[in-house]
Amino acid sequence: MKTNYLLPHKYKKLGWTLLSLGIISFIILGSTQYEGGFFEIKVLSIFNYDYTNKTFFKIIKDDIRNEVISILIIVGGLLVGFTKEKIEDEFIYKLRNDSLVWAFILNYTILLITILFIYGGDFFEVMMYNIFTPLIFFIIRFNFLKYKSRSHEE
Amino acid sequence: MKNNIKVQRAIHDMTQADLADKIGVSRQTINAMEKNKYVPSTVLSLKIAKLFEVPLEGIFFLEDED
Repeated sequence: MKTNYLLPHKYKKLGWTLLSLGIISFIILGSTQYEGGFFEIKVLSIFNYDYTNKTFFKIIKDDIRNEVISILIIVGGLLVGFTKEKIEDEFIYKLRNDSLVWAFILNYTILLITILFIYGGDFFEVMMYNIFTPLIFFIIRFNFLKYKSRSHEE
Repeated sequence: MKNNIKVQRAIHDMTQADLADKIGVSRQTINAMEKNKYVPSTVLSLKIAKLFEVPLEGIFFLEDED
């Protein structure tokens, strides 16, 4: 069966490595208050709004840890979720699609609840996590379904 | 949809792994089909029927709710 958009299986390990690195650094960064210094470098900003004025295409200084961690989690997550399995067939493809739908619905259910019940600054913290949750829910669900279908063999 | 893949396997003395190998799917797929948890595509059904040398209707059966 034709399975589109999927990368070869060999990238899966790389994906897990990047994703783990990203999540571990995310947890460490969340528990430290270390500011600036080594990680602050010059970056190109296409658009920047700093309360008083808007600038376009300007070189600014920024602590890039957030950016690096986000990229690690997103690229790692995409590689884990969208590389072929060792034996890629129509059943595993169905499990992947089902997991995607499941993750999508769960994510927006949680988002609806936060819109209704969480206000102020905390809401934006939830939105920050929401950058990663669709991908993370999908990976957890997909691997759970794969594990479940494996444990019922004769 | 129901099927008698398990019976056909027994007749041809094949394990789930043998069948999976021959039609190019994983063992989980065979297992899911035998447990009626997965309805195979037309292509895969035809491959199974061809391998067992039985017409499609001899392996797959519609149920009332289909």
